[in-house]
Amino acid sequence: MLSIKNLHASVEDKEILKGINLDIKAGEVHAIMGPNGSGKSTLAQVLAGNDAFEVTSGSVTMNDEDLLEKATEERARDGVFLAFQYPVEIPGVSNLQFMRTSVNALRHHRGESEMNAAEFMKLAREVSKQVDLDPAFLKRGVNEGFSGGEKKRNEIMQALMLQPKLAILDETDSGLDIDALKVVSDGVNALRAEDRAILMVTHYQRLLDHIVPDFVHVLAEGKIVKSGGPELALELEERGYAWLGIKEDETAASSAN
Amino acid sequence: MKPAPILLSTAFLHPAGQALPEPLLALRKQRGAALVDMPMPTRKTENWKYSSKYLKLTDEMAISLPTEGKTGSALAVPGYKVVFINGVVVPEASEYPDLDNILIQRFGDLSDAEASELAERLDSTLDAKAVQFAGLNSARFEDGLIIRLKPGAVLDQPLFIIHEVTADASGSAFPRIFVDAGPNSQITLVEEYISSGQESVFVNSVTEFVLAEGANVTNIRLSMDGDTVQHIGATGVTQQRSSRFESHCVGFGGPLRRHDLRVRLEGKGAECKLNGVVVTQGTQHYDNHTTIEHVSPNCNSEETYRNIATDKSHVVFNGRIHIHPDAQKSYANMHNKNLLLSTGAEIDTKPELEIYADDVKCAHGATIGQLDEESLFYLISRGIGRREANVLLTLAFINELVAQIPVDAVKDTVQIRLNQFFDQVFLEG
Repeated sequence: MLSIKNLHASVEDKEILKGINLDIKAGEVHAIMGPNGSGKSTLAQVLAGNDAFEVTSGSVTMNDEDLLEKATEERARDGVFLAFQYPVEIPGVSNLQFMRTSVNALRHHRGESEMNAAEFMKLAREVSKQVDLDPAFLKRGVNEGFSGGEKKRNEIMQALMLQPKLAILDETDSGLDIDALKVVSDGVNALRAEDRAILMVTHYQRLLDHIVPDFVHVLAEGKIVKSGGPELALELEERGYAWLGIKEDETAASSAN
Repeated sequence: MKPAPILLSTAFLHPAGQALPEPLLALRKQRGAALVDMPMPTRKTENWKYSSKYLKLTDEMAISLPTEGKTGSALAVPGYKVVFINGVVVPEASEYPDLDNILIQRFGDLSDAEASELAERLDSTLDAKAVQFAGLNSARFEDGLIIRLKPGAVLDQPLFIIHEVTADASGSAFPRIFVDAGPNSQITLVEEYISSGQESVFVNSVTEFVLAEGANVTNIRLSMDGDTVQHIGATGVTQQRSSRFESHCVGFGGPLRRHDLRVRLEGKGAECKLNGVVVTQGTQHYDNHTTIEHVSPNCNSEETYRNIATDKSHVVFNGRIHIHPDAQKSYANMHNKNLLLSTGAEIDTKPELEIYADDVKCAHGATIGQLDEESLFYLISRGIGRREANVLLTLAFINELVAQIPVDAVKDTVQIRLNQFFDQVFLEG
């Protein structure tokens, strides 16, 4: 489904990604781990199409189409979804209006009719319960006044609403207490499907206790330095990154994560 | 040697329309005489610093626009309405409420005694030195509307006042309204300024509100004149004990737009809430000057203005709060936020706080910014098109204020006009 070849990317002339190679098939869950500043979030942002990052070389194809050539909104319409590490607050635009516009943009792209307000409300209420958000939040501004945990649950809710082909989860576990982590993990597990790929970026092993990945990759200084199965995450948890020759503290200092 | 100031052309000092009671004709004459030496504002005039260059009055524009045979555009406004064309009331297009305790009269229909009383009170809410052009309206009005609410009178639905100018020839119009809100009375008054025609015209409007104890007045002012209209307007408000005044000023730009809003909280416990939204594009201009005077103790004022400017347009906001020495326990809160949608646009904002009492709570803030890139990325990363994302974020900037407008018909009008703005400013793709 997703094929990343020798991907290099920079921000403000500083190279962050230095040759990423990664293949993800439909139905698979991949976890990318690594110390702060290794380029995990950059990879997520580049795939979603954030203009702040410049791709200097390499290629990314999704279902054999050049992903990098597409504008951000086109990628989303083709099924790319990024759950943000730090979702923004947008007062003045309600969650309801935001999500409905988004759902309808995707439906329109697929040649389907728009969802009317009543249909949409019904769906939104159901999904909000799934991620344990009070449906009353739909009337509030996008993420406005949300706690860190509520923001993350809202991201998962959007993923469930939009049913992407490729879901990229950027540190979706950070800042969550144990109960919220369970809710979010259940949401992600509900996303697992034969025709969907999931790419999880995480700093900690604990998320992987709840969402068991098919593959784990270690990213350091802009490159994948080791790949393996779920057992690799456990090994990292036990031994840290040092045995792979990665100095965690030094790389953390250069973080533009 | 200092160059002699440019004075207001004497061509502007010849009022038309003699169908007014004698006391009002006398008032006009007196106000006109006071303007003989009126200097035109320049960039050195403090309260016109950023706007004087937009004021371009010519002698052709001094003539009163004709009112005979003008019917204006058909306006489908539901409920009570009064239609002014070129500053003169058109009774056949108007629909007055039929209530014993609310009197609505044209200046021309007043008895000499009533007119004499009105002449005493006109301009009482506006400081002639600070709002020079209000004096010009007093020297030139040809008609006007006085709305008197007797004690406890409540107007059951909004009263729309449509001010239309027919810019088929150069000229000017001087609409005038005086609202006398008796004790514990209530009214919602919508003023809508519109125009037709393409010639250069000058509109100089004045609306005054005198609120007695416990009166509750809501004023919505919708400034939607066309591209050839220079408009200088003033709204003056005085408030007695425990009265409440709420204002919603929504304005779209033009070659010159100036609105002075002055509120005096004269009685204990009076409160006012002033909301404003300005949207400009092209080479348009809009200047809002507001002044809130806390004269008595325990008064509250809450002011929120938001401006959006794009292309090479120019918005000015000057908000002044003046807390007098006796006005202890005053609460005043003023916020002005500005959104620049292009690098060529300009917004000048100046909050002014003058406090002469020691036990007060005052806050003010002003910000100028652009659409947030991070928010934009968030929206488009969900498949929302760039145009729609821009529209959503721009609307978000003023939504809160538009939502507070208490008359749905006005909200709809504003939304339609905003959609036109978005169509012109944010292109497809």
